[in-house]
Order: sequence, then structure tokens, then C-alpha cells
Amino acid sequence: MLTENTIAAHPDIPDDRDILVCIFQRGAADGLNALVPYFDSDYYAHRTSIAVPAPDPLDPLNLNNGIPLTNYFDTVPNGYALHPALQLMEQVYLDGNLALVHATGVPHQIRSHFSAQNLIERGVIEKTGPSTGWLGRHLAFSSPATGSAFRAISISGNVPVALGGAIEPLAIDNLNDFGFDQGILDSGYPQVLTDLFRNPIPFSGPAEAALAAMDELQAANIPPVNQPSDAGYPNTVLGGKLLQAAQLIKSNIPVEVVCIDSDGWDHHQNLPTYIGPSLTELAGALRAFYDDMGPTTGMQRITVLVYTEFGRRIKQNGSQGTDHGTASLAYLMGGGVNGGQVISDWPGLDIGQNEDLQITTDLRTVITEMLDKRLGGTDVGIVFPGFTVPTYVNAFI
Amino acid sequence: MANDTSFDLHGILGRLQNRREFLQLFGKGLGYSALATVLPACGGSSSGSSDEPLPPQTIVIPKASPEYTALKRTSFGPHRDELASIKTLGITNYLEQQLNPVDEPALEAEIASSFPLTLKSPAELIQDFPDNIFDVATQMIAATQYRQMFSQRQLFEIMVEFWSDHFNIHLVNGLGPTLKPDDDQQVIREHALGNFRDLLHASAKSSAMLFYLDNFINQAGPDGANENYARELMELHTLGVDGGYTEFDVKEVARCFTGWTLRFPGDPGGNYGEFVYVDAIHDNQAKLVLGNTIAMGGGQADGEQVLDILFSHPSTANFIATKLCRRFISDTPSQAAVDAVAAAFTNSNGEIKDTLRALFATADFLGDADQKFTRPSEYLATLVRSLAPDTGYPPDKGTTWFYAQNTLGQIPFYWPTPDGYPDQQSYWASTGGLLNRWRLSFLSFAGIIPGVDVIDVDYTTMLNGANTLETVVDTITDAVLMRPLSSDDRSTIVEWLKGELGVTEQELLPATVPEQASALVAAVLVSSVYFHLR
Repeated sequence: MLTENTIAAHPDIPDDRDILVCIFQRGAADGLNALVPYFDSDYYAHRTSIAVPAPDPLDPLNLNNGIPLTNYFDTVPNGYALHPALQLMEQVYLDGNLALVHATGVPHQIRSHFSAQNLIERGVIEKTGPSTGWLGRHLAFSSPATGSAFRAISISGNVPVALGGAIEPLAIDNLNDFGFDQGILDSGYPQVLTDLFRNPIPFSGPAEAALAAMDELQAANIPPVNQPSDAGYPNTVLGGKLLQAAQLIKSNIPVEVVCIDSDGWDHHQNLPTYIGPSLTELAGALRAFYDDMGPTTGMQRITVLVYTEFGRRIKQNGSQGTDHGTASLAYLMGGGVNGGQVISDWPGLDIGQNEDLQITTDLRTVITEMLDKRLGGTDVGIVFPGFTVPTYVNAFI
Repeated sequence: MANDTSFDLHGILGRLQNRREFLQLFGKGLGYSALATVLPACGGSSSGSSDEPLPPQTIVIPKASPEYTALKRTSFGPHRDELASIKTLGITNYLEQQLNPVDEPALEAEIASSFPLTLKSPAELIQDFPDNIFDVATQMIAATQYRQMFSQRQLFEIMVEFWSDHFNIHLVNGLGPTLKPDDDQQVIREHALGNFRDLLHASAKSSAMLFYLDNFINQAGPDGANENYARELMELHTLGVDGGYTEFDVKEVARCFTGWTLRFPGDPGGNYGEFVYVDAIHDNQAKLVLGNTIAMGGGQADGEQVLDILFSHPSTANFIATKLCRRFISDTPSQAAVDAVAAAFTNSNGEIKDTLRALFATADFLGDADQKFTRPSEYLATLVRSLAPDTGYPPDKGTTWFYAQNTLGQIPFYWPTPDGYPDQQSYWASTGGLLNRWRLSFLSFAGIIPGVDVIDVDYTTMLNGANTLETVVDTITDAVLMRPLSSDDRSTIVEWLKGELGVTEQELLPATVPEQASALVAAVLVSSVYFHLR
């Protein structure tokens, strides 16, 4: 059994593979108020009443202002500032374990949440193409390290589109509830279910995976946690989910990929009021996970990717919010991340082009680099059909 | 969404969890261990033949009767009385009855007395807001579940759920708890079997919808209109995402709906929560929507004209027909079925009954059975309707159902995004989805375990004197499943029970054992695909 301070990927997982935690911000998270381009005066011109104030060197402790960032290879601020609600991420950035990719996205030209999420998760930019997901296809390409049912898991009641194509990804909302009473196990009831759901009975796949996962969880004997704060996590939905990811990773279960959804990013109105709590939840949960895994220990074998379906308009709308746009922000966290930098080929904030932040770094480039350098290699032609990676953006070590 | 952060579901769940200790009850299977203590006559546990693997073979699930399929697809679970009724009436007559549902004064009286907040107006509900959020939410959920389980107007309740998803509004979202009950009564339930044009217009003026999709602050001005409602109106309510609108149309439709808002407390001229059009913030310039010019100066009529353009658009007929076929037939309905339903929608000018009649008349409706994994709301109601069809309202006022529904992931009015709960079986038939159903299957022990009285399962009547293992299995299968098991599956269950109970197939069981064995059989049956498919 691994102890807390030596946690890492399971010993059966090859050294060239990190554990991947994928967090999808559902609802199209605004990137411009999360990582503020305060060097660009157009930002303040177009977001007259919703902009985050620039850092003030004369008033560095003002908690309403953005938190200035400097690239690790540089000595002067890079012109980008974290939203103050992301304050907990500053240390991760300073540790060199957080990179922020700005003006990123997938050029799918769609402004429907549901269609855009579907395209991004499938790893395509048009409706045609495979119905499976980019991550599922990567997992199908990369051979399983173990026979565990926990190779890929979604901490939720359902399997996200991104995992489609992997062999029976798990969907478990609550690890502590996932199982039967000992009396039921002893009765042979699981075997009855195994028989009743034998192939080719419909749903034999998920049924078999559920029964196998139950066995593994029973053996791992993960101690229940009453509420996330008992383990140092925020008592929020995301806090609880990242706690469960941590519990799995810390157990002896050889989990390779964890998918988590973060809801509530569709801020059409009153953005300043509503984005703060969302960012606070995100930062609190990420930081708790980071500390729990250990910056110099567990996190050395873990990569966290946070992404969304598209960004929001540069210009605010008539109700102090922002409508559906194009490029946004992606977060990369982990020991293998080339962190302490903002990765951005800044497109400027010219609202002539649909009032949108233009995509200058294709998110597929970033993900391909991640799979290549941190997940044991991949085949981009399988993961992102029809996409050719220009050059990596040096986001990973 | 208007406000995603004020009140989260977990806060409410936490409160209920502490009060009722539900998870202790249902945590990992209701009371199976407790049962062991009341089965003195029965022998060892895992010594049966269940470890012997079955040889691989081609497996066919025996078909259910067409009457069963009709019920399973148009109700929250076949009820034995309804199965008898549909066999007497014939399927067509039964469905015609359901399309013209009877009044249910007793049920409505129960709703009014147990869940009074569900019938209150926004002006009444704002009085105690936000202290009443918890009570409004639990009553809205419980009333919905109550109707699904106990109403005879089953098709009506299916359509209420369908339109509640189609015009989804997250209940606990800002002012939502004061507004959604009125939307449920005046929009969804009022028009569930009525006319789609009326439903669409009512939804557009629903204060809950105006709030949820931010149209209440959609106003003309230099920063532009708020596009949230305009986009979802076309994508989710009418045309469908591929229905032929452009980003230009989104912007123009948003302009047409500027000024459509609701009265807030203290506003003159009416009550909180009423629809109001404010010309002063309306963009009165001309617009162009899907090629139609909306002349300048139209005022409130701009939005109404847009609704009629969308209602009459062929994409809307196709979109609604596709969703209905997905609900009542399968995730991949035939084009012929969709076309027939779309034609009925168009020819009847959006009459929902005529549209459903066309659907029920398709070859696929009865011919292509068992195509779909039921959603959690159906699973839960079907448990009650099949195990304990005569059970009354439980003493815990539905708290158990609330938890069960939460475990299964489909609490009424709690889907956060405007697309509504998914209606694709791949979403629900996940590993966790199956396991949670298996755990809840032990609800079959209610009534056997002292103190667990959320439903009143009467196995004695069901058994009707059956007192051998084989007759118990067959009798309970008929009573609970109402469809035939394959001989392999029957044999799996019988062999397991032989080991569990330490008896042979045909020996006479000691006095209390048939009833207790029934609970085991029922748990297995409601865990199987026979029970989940429709």
C-alpha cells in the first residue's frame, strides 16, 4: 500500500505515463476575465463595466485587482493577471506547475453549447467523423497497463462523450456508495447479476464493468470521507469530485484517466457577480488536489487539463454579461507541465471579427503534445482525425 | 443561466440527508443482512450453483405482449390494473382514453394538501423567499413523483415530463423557486396535451423562462441584446441546432425579444412574476429573421411574430417529431416514423394529441419493442407501480423517493442546462447507472424488514398460495415483471435460490419462506434488463 507522501502512478503503470485528470468547464467559460490581458487597453474599452482592474504596483494587496504573472524565464510581468478569485493558483504557477494557454480553443465555428461540447469531445471540427471521443480513441490506441476496470473513470453518473471508444469507461458518482452490503456479496447475488447480464444481453458491457469495479473497490477499501472539507477540499461539487479522484489515485487502484465536469460557466448576465464564485470553486478544488497529491511527489506523475467548449465575446452585452464567443483559456497543471508561463500568441482584441477572441493556439496542438509527452505517446491521426499539429507550444516537459 | 451559484443542490441534499438518514437505509442495498436474521429456516450463503459458469449461447429475451409494450412506452410503468384494462379495451381505445384524461379530484386534493406550495403564485411564494426554497423544491419534486407513481393520467404525465425537459428550467436557480411552480401549472401542465403553438407562446411569456434564460434583462442599447433566450429558443425549443438559422438570426431574434420581462416586487401595475412588455427598452428598429422582415415599430408583436415564424417552420415539425419518436420508440427512430409524426404535427397545426396519434399508429411503436433503457424517473415509479401498485403515499412524504431519484441522477427540475435531461439510453445505461438500480432493487424488501414502510409490498396476495421455489419464482415473475423470462434466466434465479435457501425446486417451503423468497426474486427481476427495457 502506498502512503500519502509517496503516491504516484500505480507501479504497474509505465513510467512514461502520467495519470490524466480532465476537467471540462460546461457552459463556455469566459477566459478574458479569468486571465486578464491587462496590457491590452482594448480589454478595458470593450468591457467597460465588467473588466477586472489591472494590478496596481502601488497597491499590491488590493484584492479587487488582478494578480500579475511573470513568465519563469523572464523578470518582468508578462501583462496577464489572474482574476483575484484564482488567487490560490498563484502558488502553483510560481512552483512552475501551472501553465495557462490563452486564446485557445478548437476552430469548430459553433456557438451552441451542446453541439460544441460534442465536437470538442469527439475531437472533430465538423459533424462528420467518428462518434467516439478523443480521449477514448487515445486509450484504445495506447495499450492498457493493467487489467483494472478503473483505467478510465468519470466521477459522475454518466460517461462523457470524450471517453467514448475506450473499453467500458466507468461512471461512478460516489465511490463510497458503489457496492453492495457484505451480506449481499456473500449471497452470490453479484454472480446472479453476472449471469443475467451475460453477453449478448443488452448492457452486458457496463454491467460486467460495474461488477468488476465493485470487486476492485471492495478490495481497495477506500476510507469514506464525510464531507470534502474533512480532507481539506472545498465543500463544493467540484471539490467533492476532485477529492474522489484523489482517493482513487491514493488507493492501490491503477487508475489512468479521470474525467470530471465543472458546471455553471454560462454567464450571460452580471459576469462580475457570478464568475467570481465559479473561479473560487475551481481554484479551491484544484489547489486542494495539488496539495493533497504533493507538489514534488504525486503531482510529478499527474497532469490536469481544464478546458471548455468555447469562450465568450470580447465585448460585454447589455446586461453586464457576455454572449457566446470563440477562444478561451485552458489550464495545465502538473509536474510535467512546463509551468510558470502564459502560453499565448496574443491575437489582439479587435472586435471587427464577430466580436470574438480569435484562436491562435489550437487546443488540439496542446492536447496532442500532452498525450505525446506525458501519456506515453499517441497517434494524432486517430485522436484528432484530419488535424496536423503545426509545432508544439512547449507546454510540457 | 441567470444565476448558477446562489443555492446549490448539495446544500439541500445535505439537510435532507441528516434529517432522514436515507443513505443508511439504502446505502448498499436495503436490509439484505437484516433479512438473513429473519430467515431461520434457511441455510448457507454462497454454496449454491451460482459459481458454475453458464455455457456461451445465443440469448434471446422473450418478447413482451404488445399491450405491455404500449403501457411501458406511455406510462411510468405497467400497473397490473392497467394491463388488465388495456387487454379488455384494446390498445387503440386505451391510448385514446389516455389522450383524453379523466379528472382526478382525489389526487388533486392530495396534491393540494400535501404539496400546497406547488400551486402558489409567484406573488405568494416571494413572501417567504428565500426561506422557503427548501420547501418549494421538495414539494415540487415530491408532487411530480407522486403524480408519476399514482396518477391514472399516465400519458399526460409522460408528456408533462417530456415538455418539462423540452422547455427545461432549473428550479433552484436564483428566483426560480418562486417562478417555476407557476410555469409548471400554467405552461407545461396546461398545454401538455394541447397545442404546441400555445405552449410555445406561453413558455416565451413564462416568468420562470424569462428569468432562467436571461431575457428579463434583454434590452436595446449600445452593448447589444442578450442572446441567451434567442439562441435556445431556436436551438432547443423549435428549429433544432441544424434547423437552418444563422448567427445573424440569433442576434436579430434577440433584438425582437428586447423588453420582454417580468414584473418584480414593487413594480406598478400588477403582481410580481407577471409577464410585462416594456416598450422603453425594446429595440423598435426593423429586423430580419430567417428571411422575414419584422417591420419597425412592432413592439411586443415582434417577439410574437418570431414565435409564429418558428412554429410554422418545417424544421420545427421535424425536430419535435424526432424528439417524440426518440421518447416513444428508440434513439434511432426510422425516417418513416419521424416523417409521419412531423406530417401530423404540420397538418394539425401543432395539435399534440393528433401528433401522438400518428406516432402510436406507426409500425415501430409496437413492432420495435425493447429498444430503450428506461430513464431513472420511470425506473423508480415502475418499482412502485409493479411491486406495490396499491401502496398509498408513504409515511415519509416522499423523502425516500427524493433520495432514490438523487442517487439515480434525475431529480425533477434539477437539470442545470436548458437542454433538459438526456433522452438517450447510452447516457443512463452506465456502470454507475446500473449499479444504482441494482442497489435500489432491494426496495423489494420493504414490508419484510420491520420499520421499512416506504411502500407496502404485499407478497402474500401476489403469491396466492404458491409454496414451492418454482411456483414462487413463476408467480412473482408474473406479478412483478408481467412479461416472460427466458428459461435460462428463470433457471439462474431458481438455482441461486436453491443454494441460498437450502431447498429444492419442488419441496414445500416452511411457512414464512415463500414471502421472504419473493422479496429476493423481486429484487433480481427488477435488476434485470427485462425491467429496464421498453
